[in-house]
Amino acid sequence: MKKYIIPIISMIILAAVSGCQKWKGEHVDIYNYTLPVANAVSDKAPLSCSGGTTVAPIKGTMLSGKTYTVQDGCDLVINASDTLLMQPGVTLNMGLKSSLIVLGTLVSNGSEKQPNWITIPGITKNDAPGGFTPSADPAYSGKWKGIIGGPTCNLMVLRWTHVEYAGLTEGDATSKLAGSGAGNQYSILFANYKGNFIMEDSWLYGGVDDPIRISAGKVAIFRNTFEKNGVKGGDCLNAKGGTVGTMAYNLFVGTATNGQKASNKAQAIGAPQTNLVMYNNTFVSGGYRQTQSGRGGCINYEEGAAGMYYNNVAINCRFGYRVVGNPAADVAHLSYGNNYQWADVDSIANQFYPVGYITKPQITDIPSINTSPKYLPANYSPGAFYDGHDVVQKNNPLFLNFPLPAIGHPLDQYSAVGNFNFRLKPGSPLVGKGNTDIKPLIVVPLDKIYGLSDATPPGTDLGCYQLNGAGNQH
Amino acid sequence: MKHSYFLNRLLLFSSLIILFAFSSVAQTIKGKVDDYKTGEPLAGATVHLTQQGVNKIAPVNLNGAYIFKNVRTGPYKIQVNYIGYKSSQVYEGNISTTDEIKVINIDLQDASTQVAEVKITGQGNKETDRAARGIEKNASMIQNILSANTIKLLPDVTVANALQRVSGVSILRSPSGEGRYAIIRGMEQRYNSTLVNGIKIPSPDPAYRFVPMDIFPSEMLDRLEVIKALTPSMEGDAIGGVMNLVMKSAPNQFVLSANISGGFSSLFSSNRPFVAFGPSLNRQSPASINGNSYAATYSDFNNKAITSDKNMSTPFSSTAGLTIGDRFLDNKLGVIVSASYQNIYRGSNSKRLIPNAQPDFSPTPNTPQFSDAYDRTYSTQTQRLGIHNKIDYAIDDKNKISLYNLYIHQNEFESRLSADTTGLGLNSVAVKKLVTITNRSTLTQQSIYNSTLHGEHILGDEWKFNWDGVYSRATRNMPDRTEFSYDANNKYNTSGNLISEYNNNTSLTHHWENNKDQDISGYANLIYTPKIAGKIVEFSAGGLFRHKTRNAYYMSYTLKGDSTPYNNNFTSIPFKISNPGDGTGNSSADLGNNYSITENDNAEYLQVKFNILPKLQVLGGVRVENTDLTYLTQSAITISGRSGKYLYTDVLPSIHLKYAITDDQNIRASYFASISRPGFGEQVPTVIDGEYYTEKGNPQLKHITADNYDIRYEFFPGGAAQLLLGTFYKKIYNPIEYYVDRDGSSTSNLAITPQNALGNATNYGFEALATKFFGIVGFSVNYTYTHSRLTTTKLSYGPTGLNGQPMNSTVNETRPLQGQADHVGNASILFKSPELGLDMQLAYVYTGERLAQVSAYANLDFYQHANGQLDFSFEKSFSKHFSFYGKINNLTNAAAKIYLKYPHNNVKDLLQEFLGKQDIAAQTLVQSDYYKTLFLGGLRYKL
Repeated sequence: MKKYIIPIISMIILAAVSGCQKWKGEHVDIYNYTLPVANAVSDKAPLSCSGGTTVAPIKGTMLSGKTYTVQDGCDLVINASDTLLMQPGVTLNMGLKSSLIVLGTLVSNGSEKQPNWITIPGITKNDAPGGFTPSADPAYSGKWKGIIGGPTCNLMVLRWTHVEYAGLTEGDATSKLAGSGAGNQYSILFANYKGNFIMEDSWLYGGVDDPIRISAGKVAIFRNTFEKNGVKGGDCLNAKGGTVGTMAYNLFVGTATNGQKASNKAQAIGAPQTNLVMYNNTFVSGGYRQTQSGRGGCINYEEGAAGMYYNNVAINCRFGYRVVGNPAADVAHLSYGNNYQWADVDSIANQFYPVGYITKPQITDIPSINTSPKYLPANYSPGAFYDGHDVVQKNNPLFLNFPLPAIGHPLDQYSAVGNFNFRLKPGSPLVGKGNTDIKPLIVVPLDKIYGLSDATPPGTDLGCYQLNGAGNQH
Repeated sequence: MKHSYFLNRLLLFSSLIILFAFSSVAQTIKGKVDDYKTGEPLAGATVHLTQQGVNKIAPVNLNGAYIFKNVRTGPYKIQVNYIGYKSSQVYEGNISTTDEIKVINIDLQDASTQVAEVKITGQGNKETDRAARGIEKNASMIQNILSANTIKLLPDVTVANALQRVSGVSILRSPSGEGRYAIIRGMEQRYNSTLVNGIKIPSPDPAYRFVPMDIFPSEMLDRLEVIKALTPSMEGDAIGGVMNLVMKSAPNQFVLSANISGGFSSLFSSNRPFVAFGPSLNRQSPASINGNSYAATYSDFNNKAITSDKNMSTPFSSTAGLTIGDRFLDNKLGVIVSASYQNIYRGSNSKRLIPNAQPDFSPTPNTPQFSDAYDRTYSTQTQRLGIHNKIDYAIDDKNKISLYNLYIHQNEFESRLSADTTGLGLNSVAVKKLVTITNRSTLTQQSIYNSTLHGEHILGDEWKFNWDGVYSRATRNMPDRTEFSYDANNKYNTSGNLISEYNNNTSLTHHWENNKDQDISGYANLIYTPKIAGKIVEFSAGGLFRHKTRNAYYMSYTLKGDSTPYNNNFTSIPFKISNPGDGTGNSSADLGNNYSITENDNAEYLQVKFNILPKLQVLGGVRVENTDLTYLTQSAITISGRSGKYLYTDVLPSIHLKYAITDDQNIRASYFASISRPGFGEQVPTVIDGEYYTEKGNPQLKHITADNYDIRYEFFPGGAAQLLLGTFYKKIYNPIEYYVDRDGSSTSNLAITPQNALGNATNYGFEALATKFFGIVGFSVNYTYTHSRLTTTKLSYGPTGLNGQPMNSTVNETRPLQGQADHVGNASILFKSPELGLDMQLAYVYTGERLAQVSAYANLDFYQHANGQLDFSFEKSFSKHFSFYGKINNLTNAAAKIYLKYPHNNVKDLLQEFLGKQDIAAQTLVQSDYYKTLFLGGLRYKL
C-alpha cells in the first residue's frame, strides 16, 4: 500500500500542475482612441468639435478671401495623411483655448498682397514703447494654444502669414493628441527630424514661453518679423537636438530671451546633430523679460550644437552673442564673425562678449576688438570681465526710423516694430561689412508652395535689411 | 511536536532520577532550569535555596544554568520562581559529603498550561529567540525570524531598520537616513511583499504595491518573519521574499508593560538647526474644493508651511509604548491592546551633483557632465502612532475566533532647504555664481488600517477549517506641499567674499497628492489530515478573494513673483498664476495622473504535506492566481490609454523538501514559481515629475514571473544558537526596468518609463548565518553573497556621425539589478547577563557596493559605495519591574556616498571646482549624505 501512495500523490500534483498550465492566460485591453476622418473644410459654420470631445478634424483647402472660425476650446486636427492648404488671403480666427494640431501637412500660402492670418479676432494692439505693461498686454496672455506639429507632421509651411496671441498651456488632452508636452506654452511646435518646417516672410506676434520650439526638424526660417515674444522667458526660435537648416533675415524686437538658439539637447536616435546657419538677422532689445539668471539676449549656441553665425546685428541686447562652455557647443564645428553690436550703456557693452561664456572675439566684429586698450585688453580670455565703456554708443547703425541711443523709454519697453523702421540709411556702418562667402544650409525642398520659395543668400549689408531691397520684405 | 514533548518528559524523569538517585554530600548545587514544554532555558528565573532557615538566591543564566557554591552540608530545599510560570515544586534533599556536586535540573510549567488548553494551535508566546529558532526549524519553508526579545534589544525603533539585521536583507534609506524599504537577496522592494499576521496589507505608496517599512514601530511585533520560499498556501506575489509582521497576541495572564524614552540627534545644533514648520491649512486643492473648472488665484493658497519656519537647535525626540493584556471568562477570552508612539527628529546634510540630461559626446562617447550642484539640508520630524488590539475567544474546544485591529499613522514633516548652483562652469571662477535657493515643506501623512476576523474550527478528527474576513485601508496624503524658490545672483570678489546678492525669479509651487487603497478580502483554508499507510498526510485546499479599490489624486499649481526682487520678505512678493487658465483643474497637465483602479484577485491552491520517508518531509502543490485589474484616468476620451483592463492567470507550482539529518539538523530544498505585479502608477499612463527625470507610466507593462530554487542546511544546537547555510537561484521573466522614453522626437526632455526587459534576469547567491553564545557573551554573524545580471539597452552619445558629428545610438549593457549589493552582512556582539540584569548589543551592518541609480546612458550609472553602520543598544534592569534602556544609532557617523565610475581627474576642467573633496581616484564622488548619531534612552516597566 505504502509504496503506491507516493506515486499516486505525485501524479495528482502533476496532473493538477499540467492542467493548470492550460488555464494560464493573459488578456489586455487598453482603451484606444482613433481620430475621426475629416471632411473637407467649409466656412459655412464655425469649425466645431462634437461628441463630447475637443477634436475637430479638418483637411482640404481654405479659399482665398474667406474667413474661417474655430469654436472655443476645440483642437483642430490635421490627420497624419491629410493636408490643409490655406490659399492667399485666408483668415483663420482661432477660438479661445483652441489649438491647431498638425499630424499631416499644413501649408499656409499667403502672399505679400494677400497675407494670411491665424489669430484671435477683436484684440486691440498697442505697440508704442511702454503702451501696455507686459502683464496687461494681450500679446503675452496666451489666448490659444498654438500650432502644434506632431511627430508625424512631415511639412509645415507658413508663408506671408500672421500668427498671433498663441502660447496657452497645452494641457493634458491637447498634448496627448499632438504627442507633445502637457506643459508646453509654444506658439508653434515642430517635432519631426524627418519633416520640413518652412517659415517665410511671416509675422509672429506675442507668445508665452518659446514662441517657436523646434524639437527637431529640417528648417528654413527666412525674412520673418518677431515681436513681443515670450512673457518671462523663452527663446524666440529655440532649436533642440536634430535640427538642421538656416535662419536668416529675421527681425526680432523685444524677445524675452534669445532670438535664435541652437542646442543639440535630446538628439533622438537616428536624428542628425543640430547644425544651424544663422546670418543677416537683426535683434533689438532682446533678453529683458527673462527673469532667470544666466540667459542670453540674441544668438546662443550650446550643448553640442554646430553651425555658424555671420552678419548679424544686435541692438541694445542684454547679452551679446553667446557660445556656451558647459554643456558645451560643438566648438570644433562652429564658426562666426562679421557680427555687429550696439550698446546705449556700459552694462550692455560689458556683456558684448558675455562674462562666463566662451565666445571668442573675432577680428571682423563691430565694434572692433582693438578699439582701445580696454576693449579688449591684450590678456583678455573668453568669459572674463572687461570694461566696455569705450565702445558705448559707437558706430551708430543709422536706421531709417529708430533713434539711437534710445530716447524716452527704458530698453525693455522696445518690444514691437510699431512705427519704427530698421532699414538702413546709406552711409550706415553696417553697409558692405557682410561676409558673402558663407552658404546657407538648405535641407528643405525648394518649391513655390510646398517648400521654400526663396533662399536669400547672405547679404553684403549687416542685418536683415539690405540697401538693395533684398532681405526682409516687411 | 509530540515527539519533543515525550523527550521533555523523559528529561524531567531523568532529572528526577538524578535528583533522588545521587544523594550525597556537596559543596555545590547546580543545574538547569528549562521550560517544561519547549525545553527552552529560562534565563532570568530565580532559584531559591533554603538551608537551616537561611535563604540564598541564584539567577539562571542565559544557558539556563544556575549554581550555588559553598553549600553547607545538611538538609536543603530548592524552589524556582519565574514570571509567567508556576513556581516549581519544592525539592528537598540532604547534602552529606563536603565534596559533592549536586546537579538538580528543574523544569517549569507555563502558568497557562494549567488551564484546559484549547486544542487548536494557539498564538502562543513566541517572543523568545528559542521559540523563533523552533519555528524556523519546524517550518515547512525557508525563513528567518527575529523574535520580540531580539527586536527589543536591537538599536532600532522601526521595522525597516530591524529588517537590516536579518540575513540576506539590506535596506534603502529615506533622505533623512531612516531605513524605508527592504531589499531581500538583492531583489529590490517591488519584488517583496508585506503581511501582517499572514494577511497582505495594501500600501500607502503613491505608485507601487510595496509598503514603506518605516511606518511600523518595531515594538508592536511578536516576531518578524522573512520568508524566502513560498508554499502554495501563501500568496504568490513575492520573488525576493515576504516580510510577515506577526503582532503580539493576547497573553496567558495579565500583562502590563510600558516604556518611555527620549533622545536627540547630534546632527542638530545652533549652527545647523532643525527647521520646523506648521502645515498648510489647505487640506485640499482649490480644484478639489471648487471643482475642476474653477480658476484658482493667489488668494486661494495658504503659505503657512513656508512662513511658519522656525529653527530648533536641539529638538528632543521621544517614544512611548504601552501594552496591556489579560484573559477572562475561564481563560476563554483573551485581549491585548498595545500602543506605540514615536516622535523622532532626524535629518541629513546632503551634497549632490546632478548629471546633465545628456552627457558630452567628446572627447569620448558619454563623457559625464554635470548641470547642477545641490547642497541640501533635510530636517525630518516623524510622528508614528501605532495601535493594535487582538481579541480571541474560544467558543468551545473546537471553535475559536479572533478579531485583530491595527491602526498605524505616520506624519512626516520634512523641511528641505536646497542651494542649487546652476549653470556649472558657465561663470568665471569665484566671481559670480548662480544659485537657486529652494525651501520646500512637505507633510506626508500615511496610515494603514487593518481589521481581520479570523476563525478556526475543528470539524472532526481529520478535518480543520479556518477563515479570515479582512478589511484594510491604506492612505497617503500629501496636502499642500509648498515650495518657494528664487535665484540668488551672488557676486564674489577675487578673494571669494560675497560682495552683492540680487534675488529674483521667485516661484511658488503648491502641490497636492493623495491616494487611497482599500481591500476587502476573504481567505478560507480546509485542512484534511487522514492517515494513509500509517502516516499522517496533510492536505490543504483553499483560496482567497480580494476586492481592491485605489484612487490617486495629483494636482500642482505654480505661481510666479513677476520681476519683483526678493528681499527676504516673502509676503511682499506679488505672486500670481501666470495665465489664469493654468489655475484650473481642467487645464492641468496633471489630469491624467488622477485615476481610480479596481482590482479583483482570486487565488486557489491545493497543497499536500507528508513524510515520504520518516525523515524526509515533502510539501508540494500548486496555486492559481487570477488578477483582474481595471483602471480609469480623468483624461479626456480622446486620449488613448485613458482606461485599461488586465486579466491574467498564473499557475504557480512549488515543492519543498525537508530532510532531518538529526533532531537538530535539516537540509531543505525547494522550488517555487512566483509573480510580481507592476505598480499601479507604473501601469497607468501617468506623467510625474520624478527626482531626476520625468516618469511616465506604461500601460503595456506585463507582470513579472520567476522560478526560484533554494537549498539550505540548518543546525539548531539549542538555545538561541543556530547555523544556517543556504544558496539560491532565481530566473526572472519580464523583469521591469526603467528605460529612456524618446519615441517620437517631440520632447526635448528625457522621460523614463518602465518596460519589461527583453532578456530574462538571473539572480543567485548564498547565505550564511551563525549565532552562538559563550556564557553571557554571544556572537551573531550573517553574510549574503548575491549576483544578479540583466542586459538592457542604453544610449551612447558619441562622435560617430559624418565628420565626427555626434549621434545617439543604443548599446547593450549588462549590469546588476538596481539596489542589489554583492555583499551584505551583519555582525553583532551580545552581552546578556541575568545576574547583572544587563543586556548589551553592538551591531554592525555592512552593505556592499550597489547600483543606486540607473542612467539612461551607458557607463554612467551611479553606485552607492560599500558602507557599514555601527549601532549600540543596552538594557539594564534595576528592580523587579523597571529597566533602563538606550539605543545609539550610527556611532561612527557613516556617510552614504554615491560614485560615478569615472576618474574624477578626467572630469572637465570647468567642472573641477564643483567636485569638492574626492577620495577615490578611479571614481567621481557625486553624492554624500551625512546623518550623524542618534541617541535614545528610556525606561521600561513590566509587571
